[in-house]
Amino acid sequence: MTDVRSYFSSRSNLLAVVMTALVVAYIGWKITESPDQALQFAFNGMSVGAVYALVAMGFTIVYSTVWFFDMYYGAAAALGAYGVFYLRSSETLGGLYEINNPIVNGIFALVVAGVVAWALHTAFYYRLRSRFSDRTLRITGSVVAAIAGLYAGIVLTYPKELHITLSPVVAALVATGVVLICRTAYIRIAGSDGLKVPTLAALVVGIGLGLFLAVWIADSPGSKLYLSWGVSCFLAGVVSLALYRGLYVYMRERARSPLVMLVATLGILLAFSALIVIVFEPTPRPLPEPFGNETMNILGAAIKGFNIFTIAIAVIGFLGLTWLLKMTTFGRTVRAIGDDEEVAKVVGINTTVIVAIVFFIGAVFAALGGLLSGHDTAIQPRMGLLLLLKGWIASVVGGIGNLQGAIVGGFILGMLEQFGIWDLAGEWRDVVSFLVLILFLSFWPTGILPRK
Amino acid sequence: MNSSSATTSPSVLERGLHTLREKGDLELYANVFIIGIAVIFTLWQGTGFAITLATVFCIWAILSVSLNLVVGYTGLLSVGHIGFFGIGAYGMAILTSDTSYELLRTEAIPQFGWPFFAALPACVLAAGVVALGVGAVFNRFRDDIYVLVSFGFAIIAFNVFLSWRALTRGAFGIHDVQRPSIGGWQLTGDIEFLILCVVFLLIAVGISWFLVSSSFGRVLKAIREDEQVAQVFGYQTTYYKLAIWVISAMMAGLAGGLFGSFTKFVDPNSFILLESMLLVSIVILGGLASIRGSLLGALAFVLLEEGMRFLPFLPDEFIGQARQVVLGVLLVLLMLFRPQGLAGRYKL
Repeated sequence: MTDVRSYFSSRSNLLAVVMTALVVAYIGWKITESPDQALQFAFNGMSVGAVYALVAMGFTIVYSTVWFFDMYYGAAAALGAYGVFYLRSSETLGGLYEINNPIVNGIFALVVAGVVAWALHTAFYYRLRSRFSDRTLRITGSVVAAIAGLYAGIVLTYPKELHITLSPVVAALVATGVVLICRTAYIRIAGSDGLKVPTLAALVVGIGLGLFLAVWIADSPGSKLYLSWGVSCFLAGVVSLALYRGLYVYMRERARSPLVMLVATLGILLAFSALIVIVFEPTPRPLPEPFGNETMNILGAAIKGFNIFTIAIAVIGFLGLTWLLKMTTFGRTVRAIGDDEEVAKVVGINTTVIVAIVFFIGAVFAALGGLLSGHDTAIQPRMGLLLLLKGWIASVVGGIGNLQGAIVGGFILGMLEQFGIWDLAGEWRDVVSFLVLILFLSFWPTGILPRK
Repeated sequence: MNSSSATTSPSVLERGLHTLREKGDLELYANVFIIGIAVIFTLWQGTGFAITLATVFCIWAILSVSLNLVVGYTGLLSVGHIGFFGIGAYGMAILTSDTSYELLRTEAIPQFGWPFFAALPACVLAAGVVALGVGAVFNRFRDDIYVLVSFGFAIIAFNVFLSWRALTRGAFGIHDVQRPSIGGWQLTGDIEFLILCVVFLLIAVGISWFLVSSSFGRVLKAIREDEQVAQVFGYQTTYYKLAIWVISAMMAGLAGGLFGSFTKFVDPNSFILLESMLLVSIVILGGLASIRGSLLGALAFVLLEEGMRFLPFLPDEFIGQARQVVLGVLLVLLMLFRPQGLAGRYKL
């Protein structure tokens, strides 16, 4: 009881409670006024909020690891959306804005080659150094990286044959996944991996499944859109990783305050958004419809199948990230770095590698949010900055640095935006969300679910 | 890192970087280089073009000097300054423009028909009043969160310009903004307007210089270095921050009023968030906590756009974008090697 009284004795807490009560009362009043429309608004809010939640989750995992704001996130969201447009431009509006620029393809191929070279170096160089000569290792690594870059270039140059060029990758990914899952399950159940037979069986099953899927995908051109999602998310993530490894690592050594990083990444965002305008024109562009345009009726409210898909992706992404952070060794190291990077280094964690992977994951989430919102409405060069800011607001609303807070904050922000513009016009949406931000920061700065 | 460089002899690169960071030579070279380019440019392009360029420079210089008071001297990284600029420009446009020509009466806005020199103080005051309200709310935030809420102010201001159609005509913009006149003498010529802008620039620089070299400025610097220490010494840091915020916003409003009158046409696209980010990058590029640096940055910014026109492979419509790329890359490089900017006194 004393806790409650001391909670309310603080003026800002009291104000927070009053404001929340007012907002709830307003929404309740609106719901009683016209329940059907309220349900419709709630659905819209959920589908917009799912995008914010995705961006906020990517943002949170990076922020809670390195503790600075990476403004490249906006560019990653825009890259995700524009990547899909780039790869599918031959189908959008009958190929009216078809675009395929060899310079762009070349740049991305180089970035992929560089990242592959780095990954090979970190994964294998020190393990194999005792067995092979330094020169052999370097030459092999360079050749493999060059092949990977060439492959990326080919994939980007022939977007019409995406389902054929990508089928080997799908096969390899599925085979590796099946083998890894079987192995983990086997170790969990049997307690040891001494037996060779189940491992061999898993290998055979995995390769078989992978080959089957590869043939199936190569035979179905309808899968190109979904493959292009994968490609653009991967590219956004790879660029993020390259930026971290190639730039942020050195910058963090010199930076006196997080603001330095913020300004530098602001520069990166400026450069990227200008490059996007140069390659694609500044006017808004549509993306192809993924699941057709028909709407479903749920309890009298119309909702597109795609919006339900968006919400599902956000929830799956949240579950996956939670699993990754709470259940795996990788997640434990990430949280250790977030708690104290120096100590994590001292106990033998290779922080550079772990943080680079975190940057990759975060950018993939941002790109996913960008392309899903692009499918829902349209894409334009400044969408990235707006999505970044919305994700930032969502993570402040939910509680900054907290994954649960990110998804809760995303959905709540989407809802509040929708209910806020009920009596106003739709163009005041951004104003509503920033007012929500300022109110939250003033009266409830820890957010709904504060980080412990 | 320090220990390794102490034991091994520094490489050429490291020595070069050291010189770049420690010595002020770069500042001198940058001054000479940029001003030299400006002179060459004037000689090449003739005076008519140079007058336009100089007017644009004056307006951007007032803006960047005023923003430097907040970002450089007080340490509040505000990305929302373009909002005050927009308030000034719209104030000038609404108060002085003659909208009777409008064919589309539904989009007509109220007419005031004030003269320029009555509208300009009104613009400054309007920006100041808005800044007082905004600053009172923003005062409690710091660092990253300050950046976020200042983004919010820029976006809210832009949306108000775009959506409050009864006052701003929304995306159509307001035409025929008045040029100044004194008595019966109409300052319609560009050269007279340039002189006016230079006078206002000098006033703004003078006020800024006076502020930062007075004891008031020393308190601001103390707040930037450590706000709690300043509080311990008995300064009400809240009031100091609010005061400099309002003064800076008023200067931005002045620049906005001049801008509206100079272009004779005001629409929301001049006040998008991107412009604000460019403004911050000018201030950081020129140098934090240095009025001279801000002037230098604004000059470099204006020259950069015009200089890009001479790049043979660059189509004209991408000049703005190319400048943005250059500024972005410059920001990254500055943050790596010289976090105080070209002529700065304070490292971010």
